[in-house]
Amino acid sequence: MAQREKLKCPGCGGEMNFHAEKVDYSKALADPQSMDAEFGGALEEFHTCPRCKLTVERPATD
Amino acid sequence: MDAMDSSAGLPEKPLFIPVILGTPRKGRSSEHVANFVAAQVAARPEAGTELIDVRALSLPASDEGEAIKDPAFSATMMRADALILVVPEYNHGYPGMLKHALDSNLKEYIHKAVGIVGVSAGPWGGTRVIENLLPVMRELGLVTIFWDGNFPHAQKTFDKDTGALLEPAHVRRLEKFVNELVWMAKVLRYGRENVAIE
Repeated sequence: MAQREKLKCPGCGGEMNFHAEKVDYSKALADPQSMDAEFGGALEEFHTCPRCKLTVERPATD
Repeated sequence: MDAMDSSAGLPEKPLFIPVILGTPRKGRSSEHVANFVAAQVAARPEAGTELIDVRALSLPASDEGEAIKDPAFSATMMRADALILVVPEYNHGYPGMLKHALDSNLKEYIHKAVGIVGVSAGPWGGTRVIENLLPVMRELGLVTIFWDGNFPHAQKTFDKDTGALLEPAHVRRLEKFVNELVWMAKVLRYGRENVAIE
């Protein structure tokens, strides 16, 4: 399986690790554009930086 | 790669395990429990802690969720490797203020360990409130451990003036709870930082 491109940490510039996806219903209420019709909420992904521990949430890329 | 020291089983960076005191009520017996739990965690060589009092958080009641983030609370949750919730049982449920505070974050919790310490005035030590919290923990992305802390008859378990523990059996019981939480915190930190979804 092809590996995804690593997200750069906005805190320290290190490579982040993608470890979770979640449906965020609150975000979809606040931002209807973010709604994924199949999941009924905003599909988000979570990346953590091994170097500085920052976690980033962003819209899922697929 | 920030892995573990295989010779000692210790993480290279100490774990950070804050303790959340989940009720703002006056006369709360849970405060003694939370102080005791925080002291037990602070005594561990592999972990640091901080006691967070929901009474001290700046969270307006006029809105909810991430719209009302307390920046300091969110930063502490982001830094945490695991959480301990000290939660009194009020009419079989959890304090609304605790839920209000927990709901103000999401990404800060994802794939982090959580242990729950129940507190009750009567028997059973908050087992019902712990059961009620489990689906909430899951929805927040936290990972529960299978040990709980249980403090029944809380008013009799601590000296009401000094907060000193009067039932020494709780020391060993809590040690088991923290052991499990530390293990889960190490595993999940390794996973967050090194094991990717492909």
